[in-house]
Amino acid sequence: MSFVSWQFPFLLAFVVLIYWRLPHKYRLWLLLLASYTFYAFWDLRFLALIFSTTGVDFLCALGIKGERRNLKKTLAVVFWPFGWLLGCFWLIPDSRIDGTMLLVALTASLVFLGFYLTIWRLRAEVRGRSFLLLSILFCLTILGFFKYFNFFLDSAGSVLSFFGLQPNWPSLQIILPVGISFYTFQSLGYVVDVYRRQGEVCRDFLTFAVFDAFFPQLVAGPIERSRQLLPQLQQHLAFSAGNLQDGLVLILTGLFKKVFVADNCALLANYVFDPAAELNAYWALLGALAFAFQIYGDFSGYTDIARGSARLLGINLTQNFRFPYLAMNPSDFWARWHISLSTWFRDYVYIPLGGNRGTPGQTVRNLSITMLLAGLWHGASWIFVLWGAYHGFLLMLYRFGPLTCLNRQQFSRQWQNWLAWLLMSSFTLLGWAIFRSPSLSHFWMWLTALGHWGPVETPWLSSWWWLVMHVAPLILLQAVSLAADGETRLKPLPWRMRGVIYAAMILLIVSSTEHDQEFIYFQF
Amino acid sequence: MKKLLTPAFLLALGLLLAAEAGVRLLLPDDVSGRFSYGYHPDAGFVESKDGTVRLVRAGGRRFLPQTFSRQPETATWRILVLGDSVPRGPFFQAAYPWRLQETLQQKGTKTEVLNLAVAGYGARRNQLVLRKALEYNPHLVILHLNDSNEYEDEREYRRRQDFHSWHPRHWPMKSYIFARAYEIKTEKIFWKLLPDKIRRQSAVNDAEAELRASLNEAQVQLWREQFWQTTRESAALVRQQGLPLVLVIQGVLQCQESGGPSISDQELAVMAHSLQGPGVYLLSMKQVFSPLAAITQCYADSAHLTPYGHLVLAQALAELVDKHLVQKLVMPQKAAMK
Repeated sequence: MSFVSWQFPFLLAFVVLIYWRLPHKYRLWLLLLASYTFYAFWDLRFLALIFSTTGVDFLCALGIKGERRNLKKTLAVVFWPFGWLLGCFWLIPDSRIDGTMLLVALTASLVFLGFYLTIWRLRAEVRGRSFLLLSILFCLTILGFFKYFNFFLDSAGSVLSFFGLQPNWPSLQIILPVGISFYTFQSLGYVVDVYRRQGEVCRDFLTFAVFDAFFPQLVAGPIERSRQLLPQLQQHLAFSAGNLQDGLVLILTGLFKKVFVADNCALLANYVFDPAAELNAYWALLGALAFAFQIYGDFSGYTDIARGSARLLGINLTQNFRFPYLAMNPSDFWARWHISLSTWFRDYVYIPLGGNRGTPGQTVRNLSITMLLAGLWHGASWIFVLWGAYHGFLLMLYRFGPLTCLNRQQFSRQWQNWLAWLLMSSFTLLGWAIFRSPSLSHFWMWLTALGHWGPVETPWLSSWWWLVMHVAPLILLQAVSLAADGETRLKPLPWRMRGVIYAAMILLIVSSTEHDQEFIYFQF
Repeated sequence: MKKLLTPAFLLALGLLLAAEAGVRLLLPDDVSGRFSYGYHPDAGFVESKDGTVRLVRAGGRRFLPQTFSRQPETATWRILVLGDSVPRGPFFQAAYPWRLQETLQQKGTKTEVLNLAVAGYGARRNQLVLRKALEYNPHLVILHLNDSNEYEDEREYRRRQDFHSWHPRHWPMKSYIFARAYEIKTEKIFWKLLPDKIRRQSAVNDAEAELRASLNEAQVQLWREQFWQTTRESAALVRQQGLPLVLVIQGVLQCQESGGPSISDQELAVMAHSLQGPGVYLLSMKQVFSPLAAITQCYADSAHLTPYGHLVLAQALAELVDKHLVQKLVMPQKAAMK
């Protein structure tokens, strides 16, 4: 179910209305049911993957703490995904579940159970690390298979054919489950936190299942930390009208960003980044700019709706964006863009690799690995790897190269700030051009188009106005939010002005683009 | 709950409600039938208290502006012309209904021809217009046959459902201002700012969707059957009222393999003959235009007529009406019968 589908407001209203009238235990059941319903709208089958991740990480985290469940409960958790698939296979005629899937699910459950029981026989000193490894291996295997299997297979095939070999591998038709990267990383983060004693272990399976599948942030984040979300799920939250107000405003703003800004900017970006497009420098720049606003409106709009929906339930989700296009340097950009992912990579990849504690060479290596993985996280394509490498390169230049001059503390004059901002914005735009290009050759085409300046065409001018028309309200909104506390809030404005803005936003949302585009980050 | 109703929220709600109430009170004509796309039961006929009838919108499209009295004047032939953009013509005086009225009047027959044709109307929407128009005491109905508008009839029906169905996804459309805003979206009004190449790429425009649908043989066959079924019903409606009916079989201009132009009626004529009976007359555009030396001067494009084409068609119809109908029927009796 998408946030922009007609079903979502009904689901959310239903959950919110009932939620506040229930005792704590039943609230969790309601959230779990709503979350699985929300996900099942895409594909019933892939709920089994969420069940697997939840079960594996729940048991492994307990194992790390040396806590063992009785065999009956363990078996129930381990065979839950298989049971789900089997139930759907029997009860739902068009569930598209076949014998192979059942066999794979059963085998995976048995393999996990085998490892799990074996680890309990190991010495206590190595048991914790073994459970951590089991969790990481299991989760990354699922993620790797569903997201990267064909990519690695194709890439290996290309390498072999370069050496004159012609591998005849079968290509599998694998559907990418929505949100798999998000909930896998969230769940993995929990297990690592428990292992590092940076987070409490969750002993209640129901609470952990809600943590793993909480519907507002299930499919596109923010990637929550266990120490941020679990305590909120564990306590009986009191109703607050303030939360309700903030939640509604966040949802409205998020819809506005997605439907009015992102979907309309997408028309220009889709044209420019179409392989058949004839580009010159004007069009290339316009396309990159349009995509910059599209992806920001799309993703931060999604985050706002997610945060607003959670706020209606009294739960605060992490802030994922902090005016990213005001960044003055590469490091600043990653402190503002997709914060939950960048901090995840920082805490679980970059720092464990050594961070910036070693020699410059080691720091460069750590940065490179982290950013390449961050790029690959976005999608199984070399274009995303290039995007990650590009940002890694920028960070290296910022740390050790000529871009150190962009360090904000060095500026004493206003024009220096402007210059730094302009330079960083140009780098960001170039990055988005890589990210949006359908292939490396198309990116090269986009890049060469920047060298072709000619007369300004009327269609370009009218497209430019189209962009301004849809971006200017967002910039105004951001300017107001900036004056507030960094969130998407309009509170500093007088209530009369806010009332007018709310009404205008509602009308603009209703009157915006027809083709309902899916959120970009759903594919990641 | 009181805390939820902040002044800003109340103001936003108040503004939206005020806009809604304002539009409904001040522009009732604009609201009525605005989102029916030709499927409103009144079909775009607005009756005034003084006994006149005004033709307004017919959904997204409009009738040619006309006003007439409920009852035709004494001894005046009231002829209705129903169809699509072909009889509607480029403008009122250039369309053949106007020419027909002039021609008949020159022949001494007092006539009032109402052009009720609307561009893109297929059999279903024309039948709605016909049902309403029959309330205004016509003496003759001229109905154009063209089975290529069924796609648009269906599309507009679905569009109408966006505004009139009780599916939860359409609940906001019960508000006029929301519906109007939504129509801006569905009609892609602001897309005019975008260059053609972007619009073409980003939207499956109506023409493309229609083209795609027309390539689906099974769908086309279904529409064709629906067209003939609805046309049969329309003919029966007219005949039940004891009125004569002229069916005009439309023809399209095409190039023959030899290179010369010809007119095709795409098998409409074959089917149209099955509708022929007492009081039902056929006029084929193919038969009217084919004998002419300058066929191409009659057509503005492959389907639409030039003012000259309209004139030729008006003359042919005037001859048919004069020969078969006017000379056989006596107006006062007809009026009394009704």
